[in-house]
Amino acid sequence: MKTLIIENIDLKKIGELVTVSKQFCDAPDIIALGEGDIPGSFGKAWQFGQAVPANLVSTVSNIIKQENYEVILMSVSTLGSGLAGPLSAALAAPAVTEVTAIHPDLVVDRPVYGGKAIIQHKIESTPTILTIRRKYFEPAQLDGTTAATALDAVEDKVTLVAETHEQTDGIPLEDANVIVSGGRGIGDPENFSMLQEMAHQLNGAVGASRGAVDEGWASPTKQIGQTGKIVAPSVYFAVGISGASQHLAGIANSKCVVAINKDEDANIFNRARFGVVCDYKKIVPILTQAIMEGK
Amino acid sequence: MHIAVLAKVVPDYEVPAMDFELSNNRAHERFSRMLGLYDENAIETGIQLKAKTSSSLTIISYGTDGDVQFLRKGVAMGADKLILVKGTSDDPSVIAQNLKLAVEELGDVDLILAGQQSADMDRGIVPGILAQMLGATFIPQVGYIESKDDLWNVNQITSTGKRELEFKGLGVLSITSIPENVPRIPAVRAIFAAKKKPVVKLDGVDQGKMALQEISVEIPKSESVCEFINADDPNEAVKTLLNRLTEERFI
Ligand SMILES: Cc1cc2nc3c(=O)[nH]c(=O)nc-3n(C[C@H](O)[C@H](O)[C@H](O)COP(=O)(O)OP(=O)(O)OC[C@H]3O[C@@H](n4cnc5c(N)ncnc54)[C@H](O)[C@@H]3O)c2cc1C
Repeated sequence: MKTLIIENIDLKKIGELVTVSKQFCDAPDIIALGEGDIPGSFGKAWQFGQAVPANLVSTVSNIIKQENYEVILMSVSTLGSGLAGPLSAALAAPAVTEVTAIHPDLVVDRPVYGGKAIIQHKIESTPTILTIRRKYFEPAQLDGTTAATALDAVEDKVTLVAETHEQTDGIPLEDANVIVSGGRGIGDPENFSMLQEMAHQLNGAVGASRGAVDEGWASPTKQIGQTGKIVAPSVYFAVGISGASQHLAGIANSKCVVAINKDEDANIFNRARFGVVCDYKKIVPILTQAIMEGK
Repeated sequence: MHIAVLAKVVPDYEVPAMDFELSNNRAHERFSRMLGLYDENAIETGIQLKAKTSSSLTIISYGTDGDVQFLRKGVAMGADKLILVKGTSDDPSVIAQNLKLAVEELGDVDLILAGQQSADMDRGIVPGILAQMLGATFIPQVGYIESKDDLWNVNQITSTGKRELEFKGLGVLSITSIPENVPRIPAVRAIFAAKKKPVVKLDGVDQGKMALQEISVEIPKSESVCEFINADDPNEAVKTLLNRLTEERFI
């Protein structure tokens, strides 16, 4: 099937979508967003500079129509979410978002009810639009680069006034092998530094639940879960996190979850490999010290 | 100015996975119903914007008569009225068409807010479809909104930080959660007053379904067996935990 990837220039995101595309075709085409070379080898390639998805809808839907693409792949992100709905309506194309598995004959899985159930759909017509949840497919290795045709958005509905990227000292959450995440149980913003110190000793990153983000203790970019980042570290420490299904949706592919929670009935213990029923304030400083000494 | 907020009544989204069950491939009807969480963030955002811009605020929903009692919470939070388009489809394209009927019925809507995702379907797609159907601008994951002359200035929360964006004309914005839009808890007096606010009901349409066939809905089995580490002595607990993590080669 003729497949088109639409993605920002990002090795891992494009890599994951190339892996997905193998289920549909040998060599997908790509519309890449951003500056720089497009990593990997594609049939045809187009490129927009820095762009706002709302301005791309008509250009992209024209390309899909002209080239008769059957499957359009994006990852779940502000780009994928910005384009999936409008493209679906513009092309009268069925769209399935947050896809976690793909089976033969255009059968796909996606979670519902905060990840408590999985719905399976058969897609009955093409073109179809799929957004793929991060970390469910191994990124393909991308060799070389592909030369692209530069494109301009034909619409300027939205103006990008400014863009800010948060400084992260240390490893980005999505790449970290160890993540120390805090929830509402942390109780106050100061104590997040305790998690920071522990993560630092483990060469890991700090994450947060929506509870902690809503309280303003951690930035929204640190939120892990269904509507935050999807992560798959070797070890995920959930500290003062109750383990709502929407939070667990972000750590489904983590290898080992360690729960530190003072409520022995907290749902997180149903997902954890190791559990410590305890006030985190008692255990985290000792844990950090022991890790430091063990190095 | 007239702000519309799209809100959906869903089965209790805080039911833990262990207690969750299905009937007819949907959440069991024994679960209590409530407004979706992001929809409440959108209502809160709308109410704050209403105060700053002296606008009126209408909550639009597609659902059943039984949903009205739960939608009234949004009115109690500060909306002026409710409009319900009646129907039961889960198809995003059908839902968007029905919401469009309500927007057209209102006629003078300047801005449409929605939740980032519904708390049952986890999709985040309905607002974008509706925007395209209305010829409006769609921006997902919006935190802050300001009205500047004839422009809307919004902050979009991205995976690495934020984008400040500006646009003119009708927009559909899906709202993400930030500390500033944690939903207010309506006062008892407001809850009573909300019962008297007008509700307009429209008959929905059931056409234009996406070419998707639903094959199955299943609850995945969870297999994790937690090894509890005795925490009576925190020093011992830490030692045991680190030993186990190294033995199993996790760190
Ligand atoms: C559509 C939708 C999407 C969502 N997306 C996300 C998402 O992406 N990510 C996310 O996280 N949530 C998400 N949520 C919210 C989710 O449902 C929960 O509300 C949220 O995860 C709760 O956060 P929490 O566990 O930090 O807080 P709580 O549920 O309040 O849990 C706090 C925990 O801390 C423990 N605790 C308290 N004090 C201590 C102490 N001193 N020591 C140890 N433990 C202590 C308590 O026992 C409790 O278990 C979403 C919800 C919806 C409806």
